[in-house]
Amino acid sequence: MIEEKQITVRKQKIRRNHMKAKLIFFVVLTMLLILTALFARAVCPYDPYEQNLLIAQKPPCPEHLFGTDRYGRDMLSRVLVGSTTSIFSTLLLVAIITILGTGIGIACAWKGGIIDTVLMRISDLFLAFPGLVFALAVAGVLGGGVHNAIIALAVIGWPKFARLARGLTLTQKNAPYMMAAKLSGSSTPKLLLKHVLPNIAGPVLVTSVLDIGTMMMELAGLSFLGLGVKPPMAEWGSMINEGRNMLQTAPWMVLAPGAAIFVTVMIFNLLGDTLRDYMDPKQRNK
Amino acid sequence: MKKKLIAAMLSCAVVLGITGFTVSAEEKTFVYGTTGYSEEMGDAGLNPHDNYSGWSALRYGVGETLFKYNDNMEVEPWLATEYEFVDDNTVKITLREGVQFSSGRTMDAQAVKECLEDLIAVHDRAPSDLKIESIEAEGLTLTIHTAEPCPAIINYLGDPYGAIIDMEYGIQGEGGSANVAGTGPYVATEVTPTQITLVKNENYWGGEVKVDNVIVKSFSDAGSLCASLQTGDIQGTYGLQYDNYPLFENNPDYTINSMPTSRCFFGQFNMDSEIMQDINVRKAIEMGIDKESFCTVLANGRCVPAVGVFPGSFSYGNDAVTAPSYDPEGAKALLEEAGWTDTDGDGYVDKDGQKLTIRWLTYPTRLEQPLLATYAQDTLKQIGIEVDINNTSDHRTYAADGAFDLYVSSTTTAPTGDPEYFFTSTVVGAKNYGNYQNDEVTALVEELHQTFDKEKRGELAIELQQKILDDCSFFFVAHLNMGIVTKSNVSGMAAHPCDYYEITADLDIQ
Repeated sequence: MIEEKQITVRKQKIRRNHMKAKLIFFVVLTMLLILTALFARAVCPYDPYEQNLLIAQKPPCPEHLFGTDRYGRDMLSRVLVGSTTSIFSTLLLVAIITILGTGIGIACAWKGGIIDTVLMRISDLFLAFPGLVFALAVAGVLGGGVHNAIIALAVIGWPKFARLARGLTLTQKNAPYMMAAKLSGSSTPKLLLKHVLPNIAGPVLVTSVLDIGTMMMELAGLSFLGLGVKPPMAEWGSMINEGRNMLQTAPWMVLAPGAAIFVTVMIFNLLGDTLRDYMDPKQRNK
Repeated sequence: MKKKLIAAMLSCAVVLGITGFTVSAEEKTFVYGTTGYSEEMGDAGLNPHDNYSGWSALRYGVGETLFKYNDNMEVEPWLATEYEFVDDNTVKITLREGVQFSSGRTMDAQAVKECLEDLIAVHDRAPSDLKIESIEAEGLTLTIHTAEPCPAIINYLGDPYGAIIDMEYGIQGEGGSANVAGTGPYVATEVTPTQITLVKNENYWGGEVKVDNVIVKSFSDAGSLCASLQTGDIQGTYGLQYDNYPLFENNPDYTINSMPTSRCFFGQFNMDSEIMQDINVRKAIEMGIDKESFCTVLANGRCVPAVGVFPGSFSYGNDAVTAPSYDPEGAKALLEEAGWTDTDGDGYVDKDGQKLTIRWLTYPTRLEQPLLATYAQDTLKQIGIEVDINNTSDHRTYAADGAFDLYVSSTTTAPTGDPEYFFTSTVVGAKNYGNYQNDEVTALVEELHQTFDKEKRGELAIELQQKILDDCSFFFVAHLNMGIVTKSNVSGMAAHPCDYYEITADLDIQ
């Protein structure tokens, strides 16, 4: 019996170590992506905006690993520089909807009453709209540009976090330790910052990381439809749009940014999954 | 025996079925995809008296005009057989006998009179072009009196707005759904802003129509257009993107028919914009754009660099005039002369703390235009000019509001085979969005309008072009080689220099 327990404990430890290694691996990959996005201009081999019609539509070759586009611009350089816009815009967007949604969710749960009812009905309203269609309408009204695309997606993105934070806060709000804290004279800000926030941060963070991939796709979608960045700015979604009519004659114009989106979204999704598994006590004790 | 009888009956049924199928299979249907039919372009619907819808009536074989243009853009009789100028203000036209509208009414001078009277009553461009004061009708003789001498009236009557329709039948539907009874080889059975369904006109005066049904489908996306042709959903296209031509070139399954046209991609500067009022800036922009590279690489050799308004095929075309050529160093010098220098080292020139940024207005349906804008963004950057592109379907509103520095659009500059149209419509007319004013030019346009002698008209066209080129009020980038790509079993469909006649009675499918 004791031996069995020892084996189980050992297995749990191995699994936990394995998960930790997996998490570190994906964190490193994510850091690599972010560093690439940060220093894209420094590492790209050519000026991503310089046109040279003499080498237009050149297939991948040693000088231009991802080929060139119809204006003779180096695709590798454009994909690298495009990562800055694509990744940081997505991170900014996810940060906005996480903070906004969590703030609203906590306020609703804490205050209750009319505030809770009104804000939750508003969130129901936004949840009822088909996401991208609503974002298209918002971006259409506000006009093109990456800032407006972020605003459009933020408008539809926050309710998910508001609902999550509200539910989690309600659980914490009625917990016995919270009563004790209240009785010991803690102020509301102290209760929220010291007790509620740390206890709901885990699930919110995991949802947030898992949302990066989805938001990146949606942002690229808006850009693809011409509601994202303005030309000649490099962004993966708009690059796919630029090349889509040439899919048969110059497929690399679509494949290069497409592969970049695929790899980035996959890394963020796997990071989110691993983070969730790592932070989930049930998974930990299996 | 019974079994044999049943077998024989079944065989007969099968044979009959097959025969029946063959009969219905013999009905020929042609599906045509085009980027040239849309509400955005102003040519949706078939009412020739509404905006540019006459183009659709003519292009898709529903309407015909009194006169048409041959491959050299010379006027030939069509629904008319001859004409004669009785005096400077009167022209007598004899109509073709035996022509019927699809409504069943016989076309005579009275029917044409009713049509032309409605045209000048409701159309935006026709009254100022035709200057018609009154029309007399007698049998097959139509006499038109103009308010002032109108030497180009015969050319203008060949414009698509001059398509002759039966006004007794009237205009069925509105805007992009308007249907009419014309005299052409096809009759529209259903018209929407995105599709026209046509059946052959059994009583067509010009002989037998070979294809029974034609469906014209509007495409706004070049990729879909190309894919539809490849999959066989459509059998012919107009407006295929240049990048897709290699897929059909040297391919025995397809035929490419290409023809130089007077369709010109050109820009007009906004003379009300403070920056654009400086001729050096306008000239520098012209000198900063490499038309040759645009035509050979981005347009895949299917455009010809333009110097002036008209292509080289006209006696008063490209070679007859001169314009600033591509010279980035010269452009930089001009900007410096105008006080624009890069003082803050950001790569763009500035003056009094203001960066030289131009608002470039264009629209996406003419697929070459966004390419030109993005290309110019880079080449102008090299001389220190920042380009802010506004590529929008709502371009007409922006243009009318003057919310641009440079408006790049395209037009058929000599749709009537005569030089007057471009000057009256775009230089001094309603489409002068840049508000360019030059009294000398206005006087010359007026003189052109009054001149009957063809040679003199050509000379005036050259003089006028040179004036607007010297003023740098307009700049001309490229003339389009219009291309129609069809399946190789389709015949009788050819590109025409005037960009009008696409589906005709000659269309056939083998």
